[in-house]
Amino acid sequence: MLVEKLIIISCVIGASLGIAMYSTLLERKLAAWLQDRIGPNRAGPGGMLQPLADGVKLFFKEEFIPANANKFLFIMGPSIAMLLACMGGAVIPWGNTLEIAGRTVSLQIANVNIGVLYMFGVVSLGAYGIMIGGWSSNNKYSLMGAIRAASQIISYELAMGLSLIALIMLNGSMSLNDIVAHQINGHWNVIYQPLGFLIFLVCAFAETNRAPFDLPECETELIGGYHTEYGSMKLGFYLFAEYVNMFISSALMSTLFFGGYDIPFVSLFGLSHNLETILGTVFLFAKIGGFIFLFMWVRWTLPRFRYDQLMNLGWKMLIPLALLNLIITAVVGLLIK
Amino acid sequence: MNEFITLMKPELLLMAMIFILLISKLGVGFNQSNLMKLIQGMLLINFIAGFFMNGEGQLFDNMYHTSSLIVLEKNILNLGMVLISFLFTDWFKKCDHLAEVFVLMLTALLGMFYMISSGNLLMFYLGLEMATIPVAAAATFNLEKKVSSEAAMKMILSSAFSSGIMLFGISLIYGAMGTLDFSEIPALLNGDSLQVMAFIFLFTAFAFKMSVVPFHLWTADVYEGSPIGITAFLSVISKGAIAFVFVSTLYKVFQPFHEIWYNMIMVLSVMTMLVGNLFALRQQNIKRFLAFSSIAQVGFILIGVSSNSIQGATSVIYFVLVYIFSNLAAFGVAGLVSFFTGKENIDDYKNFYKTNPLLSWIFALALFSLSGIPPTAGFFGKLFLLTSGASNGNYAFLIIAALNMMISLFYYLKVVRAMFMDKNENPILPIQINFATKIALFVCGGGIVLAGFFGFVFDYIQALVK
Amino acid sequence: MIANLPNYIFFFLAFIAIFFAIMVITAKNPIHSCLYLVLTMFAIAANYVLLNAQFLAIVQMIVYAGAIMVLFLFTVMLLNLNADSEPVKSNLMKFAGVIVGGTLLLLFTAALRKSIGDAEPVMNSIPMQIPNHSNVGLIQNLGWVLFKDYVFPFEAISILILSAMIGAVVLGKKEKVQLSTND
Repeated sequence: MLVEKLIIISCVIGASLGIAMYSTLLERKLAAWLQDRIGPNRAGPGGMLQPLADGVKLFFKEEFIPANANKFLFIMGPSIAMLLACMGGAVIPWGNTLEIAGRTVSLQIANVNIGVLYMFGVVSLGAYGIMIGGWSSNNKYSLMGAIRAASQIISYELAMGLSLIALIMLNGSMSLNDIVAHQINGHWNVIYQPLGFLIFLVCAFAETNRAPFDLPECETELIGGYHTEYGSMKLGFYLFAEYVNMFISSALMSTLFFGGYDIPFVSLFGLSHNLETILGTVFLFAKIGGFIFLFMWVRWTLPRFRYDQLMNLGWKMLIPLALLNLIITAVVGLLIK
Repeated sequence: MNEFITLMKPELLLMAMIFILLISKLGVGFNQSNLMKLIQGMLLINFIAGFFMNGEGQLFDNMYHTSSLIVLEKNILNLGMVLISFLFTDWFKKCDHLAEVFVLMLTALLGMFYMISSGNLLMFYLGLEMATIPVAAAATFNLEKKVSSEAAMKMILSSAFSSGIMLFGISLIYGAMGTLDFSEIPALLNGDSLQVMAFIFLFTAFAFKMSVVPFHLWTADVYEGSPIGITAFLSVISKGAIAFVFVSTLYKVFQPFHEIWYNMIMVLSVMTMLVGNLFALRQQNIKRFLAFSSIAQVGFILIGVSSNSIQGATSVIYFVLVYIFSNLAAFGVAGLVSFFTGKENIDDYKNFYKTNPLLSWIFALALFSLSGIPPTAGFFGKLFLLTSGASNGNYAFLIIAALNMMISLFYYLKVVRAMFMDKNENPILPIQINFATKIALFVCGGGIVLAGFFGFVFDYIQALVK
Repeated sequence: MIANLPNYIFFFLAFIAIFFAIMVITAKNPIHSCLYLVLTMFAIAANYVLLNAQFLAIVQMIVYAGAIMVLFLFTVMLLNLNADSEPVKSNLMKFAGVIVGGTLLLLFTAALRKSIGDAEPVMNSIPMQIPNHSNVGLIQNLGWVLFKDYVFPFEAISILILSAMIGAVVLGKKEKVQLSTND
């Protein structure tokens, strides 16, 4: 039992890190493609070893802590960011159950009955990594970045939470497992909650600090934002955490709105249970891949917001829209009942 | 549903007013004076409606209960609210955020209603918070003055502190008894030391809100800094509501502890009267003066509370009614003077009679009533408080109270002397009194004179308390 | 040992909570205070988990640690408070504080000791509602309690928050306010 869980945990963390690693390469390749360049192609065949090379470079750089920085917190910042990024995967159902030697193994680390809230909690704590890092650098650009990040994350959390409430109303459960099961038996949530999905998507961009919401690290205004003073692997952690976050939020969106590991009409083929599960997992990762592609596509398509535009969008557009969505869902739900 | 409406009528009316005011900000083009008229009209209707269709009973698993006495208490507070809206018409009209000020004050009033009607400590705590936080926000509404922000800051900090103490007491009560319901608590009070501890914490929080010495330190600064309308609200309505609650919780819920709280109240009462009076003696600012005088009045209220009898409860409620008239009249005049001339010092009032005879008479009447000179209502109010306090036979206590009345006489009359006798080269110019304000001043004056003579008021309250 | 495990965990968590709470008030740097407060919140949230109230625990984390404390940090960072800007308290104040605090502690200990020492039978006679431990924290049950037994306070809070919000909006609005210099 414990061994199974340990194996799943290491698989999930390994997959998160591995995918995050290759996301960096993908990002650069994609940027090159969109901008009609070639992109990294020296390390390994087609640049396949580039992430490794980057990692090695970051590891061997000099450990540098600014003289006036708060040393403990300076190290804590990236560690918290990384830790929280990796915690998100714990409640996502990565697949249905496998039956190995008469035992049923669930491909989920923890089936918590409040999985959605857990994810929400992890996301909301994400602000700490950035704030602590930004503050402890003792640099005004970092501080500005940290403050921007904090206000951005808090503002977009509201709309995100409101869109999630509508989703929970629809599914009647906060367990991610139940939500997936509900979608397998019925339709994908995105069909019923298109507006909710859009709001969630925008908020996910904002929460992961991805373009066009990457104001905390906006290099034209703030040098590097909260990680201006960071170098070596500590910087690596921050950058890495962003990619892990991107992966996790893609997984979350696939799970919440796109059926998770569900493959439409797969039951018609009458495949064996294990095969179906494995195919489902593959399918889930395909969906995640699609979202990661979307993240990158948007990054190289849309320009960055101005700060007041960001706040206006969050408070004056998304929250009212999310409330509207919530009310419509509630009323329609009641009427249909 | 029908029962719900009759029982919760006062609260529902207040909520309706709050929402009307909120909607009035949404583009409906009211100008200030129309909005003020709307508010005054609504408050008046609310006050009159308070006399009809009242019920007795409880709702929501005894979270909320009401009775004729509670309805009466709410009506008294409603009356105070109407008077405030009339008295400070000029200030309110000038205020940029008229609707908001009233929304905040009405929310606070709603909180007080909840507090008075609560049948559960949880609800009680919520009501108390609702009665303080909005007022603290309203205290900053003199946006151009720094003292106003200071007042709000002091108020919110001290009230948060006292709420913390109260919550601690409530959690101890829950820990010791496993219930927060007022109807279950008395049976479970057995003098256990933890319960006593919890009670003391609760009591401390009450004392804080009522600015009983030694928990009074915020009072004078807050009163001085807040806009005068809010100061009047704080000193009259808030204090009255807490006095009502004080009586009902101590007499009903904590009755088994009455020996404990009798001693506490006695000591606090003596301290409150002494400190309030002695500090009032040396005040120059009229608002601070009234603040300390209202602290001293709280000391007198505590005498009535200490008696632990029906007469005690009656006299406290009666005194609050009288106190609303007298204190509002005093604040009304002080508010007019400070609004039109910006003068707040007692010395500025010299020869006030020459220029503003009506205002001086009302002010003098209010001060007489506050100091307890017969035949004003204040005299009867204090008389009832002291006689009900005397039922315990603690005469030393009463002698101290009587001495304090002497001291208070001295400083109240000092102001009266300044107004009527002292010479002054440039007295305050004649003040143009608004019609609404005039009505309110006359109502206050009439209340001060007549409430004492109409014995049936007291009898009526007594009948309800029984 | 195993049966007592929740007790040990409770004591451990309580110790952590109190330790960090003390650190909150002793830390010289306000940012450190805030961070210690976050840790205190976590310890309390863990205590909720111990009581089978997962929902409460996670909400505690989201609301307090995730939102309120971030705002705290935010404000402290903007105000740029440092250990240097900490007001110096006179020794007399400290002495008075120690005496008052010490007396309160003494009183408390005495009250608790006495209460637990001689009131055992009374405590048992109280009709405590021992919740069904496996289900108490489920959202369904919480919802029932919140929207049935406690619906009135729940709705009252919304008015309180509304009014607080109105106050904050008025104060926060940009306006041509000129602070007069003479007061």
